[in-house]
Amino acid sequence: MPGVSVKIKNTSKGTITDGKGDYAIKAATGETLVFSFVGYNTQEIAVNQATINLTLTHNANKLGEVVVVALGLSRNKSELPYSAQTLSGAEVNSNRNTNLLGELSGKIAGAQIKQANDIGGSTNIVLRGPKSLSGSNQPLFVVDGVPIDNSSAIELGGMSNVTQNQRNGKGGYDYGSPGADINPDDIASVTVLKGAASTALYGSRAANGAIIITTKKGSKGLNVVLNTGVLFGSVDKSTFAQYQKEYGAGYGPYYDPNTPGSHFDYTDILGNGTKQLVVPTYDDASYGQKFDPSLLVYDWRSLDPTSPYYHKQTPWVAAKNDPSTFFNHPYTFNNSLFIDGGTDKGNYKIGYTRSDDYGILPNSSIGKNLFNFGGSYRLTDKFTVEASVNYTQTAGKGRGGTGFGGQNGEPMNLLQNFREFWQVNVDVQDLKDAYFRTNTNDNWNVKSPTDLSSAYWDNPYFVQYQNYETDERDRYFGNVSLDYKLFNWLDILGRASEDYYNEFQEQRINVGSVVTPSSYYRLNRTYKENNYDLLLNFNKAITSDISFKGVLGLNARRQNINSISASTNGGLVIPGLFALSNSVNPIDYPIEEVDQKVVTGVFGGVTFGYKDFLFLDGTLRRDQSTTLPDKNNTYYYPSVAGSFVFSSLLKDYTWLSNGKVKLNYAEVGNDAPSHSINEVYDKAANFGSEPLYYVSTVRNNADLKPERTKSFETGLEASFLKNRIGFDFTYYKNNTINQILPVSVSTATGYDGLYVNSGNVQNKGVEVTVNGTPLKSDNFSWNINVNFAKNTNKVLSLYDGVNNYQLAAYKGGVTTNATVGEPYGTLRGTDFIYKNGQPEVDATGHYLFTSNSNNNIGNSNPDWTGGVFNAFRYKNFTLSFLVDFSHGGSIYDVDMVFGLWTGLYPETAGLNDLGNPKRNPLSQGGGVILPGVYANGAPNTTRIDASQNQSAYGYQTAPNKAFVYDASYIKLREAAFTYSVPASFVQKIGAVKAIDVSLNGRNLWIIHKNIPYADPEDGLGAGSAYQGVQLGSYPNVRRYGFNLKFTF
Amino acid sequence: MKKIIITLLTAMAISGCVKKDEYLNNDTKSATAVPASTLFSYAEKQLSDVLATSAYNVNIFRLTAQQWTETTAISESDYDLKLRNVPDGFWNAIYVNVLRNLYEAEKLTQADATLSATQKSNQLAQINILEVYAYAVLVNTFGNIPYTQAVDYTNTTPKYDDASQIYDSLLSRLDDALSKLNTTAPGFNTADLLFNGVNEIASWKKFGNTVKLKVGITLVDVEPAKAKLAVEAAAPNALQSNADNVSFNYLTTTPNTNPLWVDQVQGHLIDYVAGATLVDLLNSLNDPRRPAYYTAIDTNANPQASDVLVYKGGAIGKVNTYNKFSTFSNTIAQPTLPSLLADYSEVEFDLAEAIERGFNVGGTAAQHYTNAITASITYWGGSASDISTYLANPKVAYATATGSYKLKIGTQKYIALYNRGYEAWTEVRRLGLVLPLPPNQTSYLNRFTYPITEQNVNEANYSQAAAAIGGDNIATKLFWDKN
Repeated sequence: MPGVSVKIKNTSKGTITDGKGDYAIKAATGETLVFSFVGYNTQEIAVNQATINLTLTHNANKLGEVVVVALGLSRNKSELPYSAQTLSGAEVNSNRNTNLLGELSGKIAGAQIKQANDIGGSTNIVLRGPKSLSGSNQPLFVVDGVPIDNSSAIELGGMSNVTQNQRNGKGGYDYGSPGADINPDDIASVTVLKGAASTALYGSRAANGAIIITTKKGSKGLNVVLNTGVLFGSVDKSTFAQYQKEYGAGYGPYYDPNTPGSHFDYTDILGNGTKQLVVPTYDDASYGQKFDPSLLVYDWRSLDPTSPYYHKQTPWVAAKNDPSTFFNHPYTFNNSLFIDGGTDKGNYKIGYTRSDDYGILPNSSIGKNLFNFGGSYRLTDKFTVEASVNYTQTAGKGRGGTGFGGQNGEPMNLLQNFREFWQVNVDVQDLKDAYFRTNTNDNWNVKSPTDLSSAYWDNPYFVQYQNYETDERDRYFGNVSLDYKLFNWLDILGRASEDYYNEFQEQRINVGSVVTPSSYYRLNRTYKENNYDLLLNFNKAITSDISFKGVLGLNARRQNINSISASTNGGLVIPGLFALSNSVNPIDYPIEEVDQKVVTGVFGGVTFGYKDFLFLDGTLRRDQSTTLPDKNNTYYYPSVAGSFVFSSLLKDYTWLSNGKVKLNYAEVGNDAPSHSINEVYDKAANFGSEPLYYVSTVRNNADLKPERTKSFETGLEASFLKNRIGFDFTYYKNNTINQILPVSVSTATGYDGLYVNSGNVQNKGVEVTVNGTPLKSDNFSWNINVNFAKNTNKVLSLYDGVNNYQLAAYKGGVTTNATVGEPYGTLRGTDFIYKNGQPEVDATGHYLFTSNSNNNIGNSNPDWTGGVFNAFRYKNFTLSFLVDFSHGGSIYDVDMVFGLWTGLYPETAGLNDLGNPKRNPLSQGGGVILPGVYANGAPNTTRIDASQNQSAYGYQTAPNKAFVYDASYIKLREAAFTYSVPASFVQKIGAVKAIDVSLNGRNLWIIHKNIPYADPEDGLGAGSAYQGVQLGSYPNVRRYGFNLKFTF
Repeated sequence: MKKIIITLLTAMAISGCVKKDEYLNNDTKSATAVPASTLFSYAEKQLSDVLATSAYNVNIFRLTAQQWTETTAISESDYDLKLRNVPDGFWNAIYVNVLRNLYEAEKLTQADATLSATQKSNQLAQINILEVYAYAVLVNTFGNIPYTQAVDYTNTTPKYDDASQIYDSLLSRLDDALSKLNTTAPGFNTADLLFNGVNEIASWKKFGNTVKLKVGITLVDVEPAKAKLAVEAAAPNALQSNADNVSFNYLTTTPNTNPLWVDQVQGHLIDYVAGATLVDLLNSLNDPRRPAYYTAIDTNANPQASDVLVYKGGAIGKVNTYNKFSTFSNTIAQPTLPSLLADYSEVEFDLAEAIERGFNVGGTAAQHYTNAITASITYWGGSASDISTYLANPKVAYATATGSYKLKIGTQKYIALYNRGYEAWTEVRRLGLVLPLPPNQTSYLNRFTYPITEQNVNEANYSQAAAAIGGDNIATKLFWDKN
């Protein structure tokens, strides 16, 4: 294995293995060689022969290793006074998932990671609970010391209202998280810093924690690694709608006025003077006629002149191919080539990865080219230059719409169509044939036999092939650093870095769609961030017992986000021509946004060590930000942390390998979003020649102060029996106070929100990881790693006189809130009236519910989360799997609200307690008894009608609370089987040094969940306010991969 | 070497610092100062839009007045205001889009030292008349609302004021505004999108008096003395003919078209059909306005050229099939359809009622009633013979039509207020017309429930207001509703 550090114990002599894994070192017999590599067990072997060969074993327990912490500084993990969890590159890229962010889930204690299920969907990462009441709770991403932007499109702004409204569950596209531009194949390690003490030196932007990524470095010689992988996938049917197959199109038995109880129209579509039985194509529900193969009807196909069924009757049956057959089997090709090498003077690495993802929606794909270059060179003994540059090109097409789409020019969300409004008699393969026959919107949901335009929904194939979005992002990030060793106790490091990207997004709605007018929308955005750092690193022992390390630094950050967007007005003149010039009316003004920010920081940190068991850290940083008012724009924040490595004093107890107590306190400040100080007016389109302006709907505030997070953390780490078993326990408490947020207020103030300093949100909790190697022999080993986290979130106070902050509002009057005394993210809505804990029904057998909509009906935070990782190795075979789980939390499921109302789900059909079809009229023994009690407490015995859409199920007959589900789950997240072809065999092939073959799977099995027909992890998109609501939810995709890795 | 490196590193660090002379937090693409007139224009358009739109999450009054009804998603016709958060939509549109900008225009106008005293006082009067108009709409929709503490960001939890006290204040503000209008100087001139600078201040006098007449007559059942005073003062100065109608004239291209056209025509919706209540009434009177109001349809299952087209409305609050009923006419389905804020016909109906109430406004009830109907039919394109035939109908003629004066005037006013859903709904409640109830309801929609957001962000004041009006539900009657 290349790059392994080989040292002679208790000396400074050492080397690293070359590209072939060979090494040479001069050592005396009796000395001990120490072999170490990130992510592997360190091994010590006494020198007693000329050649020592060994295989390092993969290790989940990483006590004793060096970890990279804030600002690229490295620390010995055993002395670290705060918790930092490190994953090796192998742990995040062995699955060959093209998105790094999703790979983190289940592997980090206390991290809630939700990746949207659609292709390239955004990933929501919250460390130790949500702290910020508004905006982002996302951690800072840092790659080799360079902060990398991971803001979702909504956070960046500059979008039309269409996208801003996604926050409230309205339609839009999920353009994903730009953090996905980081190449997983280039990662050497990922360190997750969760507490403020660990990130204090990063300043305000790491208030939500930081994810520190170290990329691979070149090692001696020439090393070539080629990975070629392919992933296949399939929709997990337990997370998609299942349909009742008994009744077809319609809302109820009322279609023909002359035929009571009719589920069909009686219309002469043949023009022969007689009436035919015609399916109500214009209605998007399945409360119609009971299926009967002997009944012949005219359905949508018989209205379509291009259809082979035109003017032909077909049997009235449930579709053979329901919407689950709309989904493609997704697949991914992912190939990468990494070359690295080095000499005594320097090293380099260069990599290229090409990945192609094809999603579950037809015509959806994301292609990426990732180039990575890094090198360092020692000009003199004292002077080292390092540089890295990365270029990522992403091209997306056909991402799926999210939320409640299809209105006001918003894209259609097909999942909403399939889950909420559908006719179960419609066969998706017929729709496919219809679309590809004509390339037009030949559709099931037409307005009438004489008007074949679409009523509410398009042919889904038309949506994917004609109304698709495309997006491109070209991104560069990299840095240049100079390191000069002025004295042997003082290093000077200067670093300049840039993260730059250029985005281009296009949205199309072609002529012929339900969404009218047709339109073309485009957005161009550039994002640029530069960081300039100057760091002085001191490292000097004060006495033989007291060590001292110090850092003194300057950081200047400049950020510039610049966007322009425009759309056609009044429709497209020529169908299929997507250009602004193809607008029916002159286009409105483009929307321009310029967002600039400069933050300068001065900071210092000291670490004192006493012998090898007591360590004390202190840091202080001063930031000055342009987004705060001049009078308040400077803020300081300190941290102090200590650790006591008690095992160093207990060396006699050989069963104790390592033991440490850590304790720390930190305060972190944060600045305001850009443009939240000065009042501005917004521009509306001119009315004729009269200009129109309006007051911005969020009131800014010239008196804003920096916000602060106060964080306390303590913990105990220990390992035993030569590190065979170990644990890490952390308790923390964070309070975020004086939050800068656009507090939602009564709109009778004339504003939707006001920027204020407000609130105190507390997160406290515990994180526990336990790892062990229960079995270990030359040929066999078993490693297990368990992590568990429980976070309790509470809103302690809000703005003066305000005890509730409304984060988002959804259909049906449901809102997501932060309420004083409650956790952040409570759901409010209408609730049942309860009698003895049972829902009460009225005398007619219908549920009673509250008239007010501010009842607490759920909480989007889980009670606890965790994961269990097991790895078994037998000779060259390794089998590993990860099970993760989340307990508690709620989801308001809008798909059930409407899907039940339109009669799609099996709950709405079948037999009742009498054994009769529920949907039969009451007079024929149909109907259902809703579970509940009367006002007198006696159980409900009144059977109510269930024959049509407003009768027994769905939103009109039950309060919001009835559609709140428990979000708990247990998932088999990952399984991998790897085989390293034996070296003896590989050597015969020649140039190849190692071959690893792996089979892996991701999101394989949802072992347990409580929400029907959906994946409890799927949300509306990135941003905390979205959590706890599902609407047009995408199904979970199981992925199976095969990867071949050649090392040359 | 050392020096070079240190200098280099220091230079690198310093190059990133903030330069004193750049203030980077300015929003360089937004205006920090604008003319008051641009805010006034915007508020006028927003007020017109919210009253004209048929978006079911903002304005559902055509449904509650039963001019229209819904097809499959019938929640609003069935008085379910929560599904689409309708009260939030309507409330926000008026407080945030209309009133906020009028208050800001008022502040900027006050501070404008370049205006002549008369123009300034004209502009302030124009702003105040629109504010009164907007507040009256809110009160007539919700009952008690934030007023004295409203539109003030320093008070994030405004208290709700008593609706009748708000009415008192509105009347005195109108008197003040009317006394400040001076025809020798312009007001907002062409930025006034209602009159576009033509006869501007004279027109505003008529408009202001019409608002006063409407506010006054609304009080008639609760405070007849105040009503009498206001109505008698306003009547002679209100709109005199259809030529005086106050309308917002939309343009041919989006986004400045009539919002109803945007929703229904451009959006190709099939969510609404004609409501049986109004259609049946028009049919029973053989009303000449039917073709202007609705489409006629062929109800024959096997359509023949010889079929007689009929006007047919869908059942209220029940599911209806779109293509089996009439829908709004081509006259309505125009991008440039003006949105009426006040018309001569309603003035004449108010005067007819005033006579019956014993107020001294001149003329007879029958004359004003006839004038009102004549004005309405004329407005909708009817001919003189249409009018005379119609007025000769004994079910229409004031002398022979059945019922109390409230029923007679109410019925014809209800017909005339087609496509002005909010006004029709208000007059139905005020004049005590009895409309059929949707199947699941036991009361007519007497008011909107308060926005759900108020329950979440202004809870104490919300609860107080709910208790003060007699419960935050749709059955609670407004203070002026004594029917």
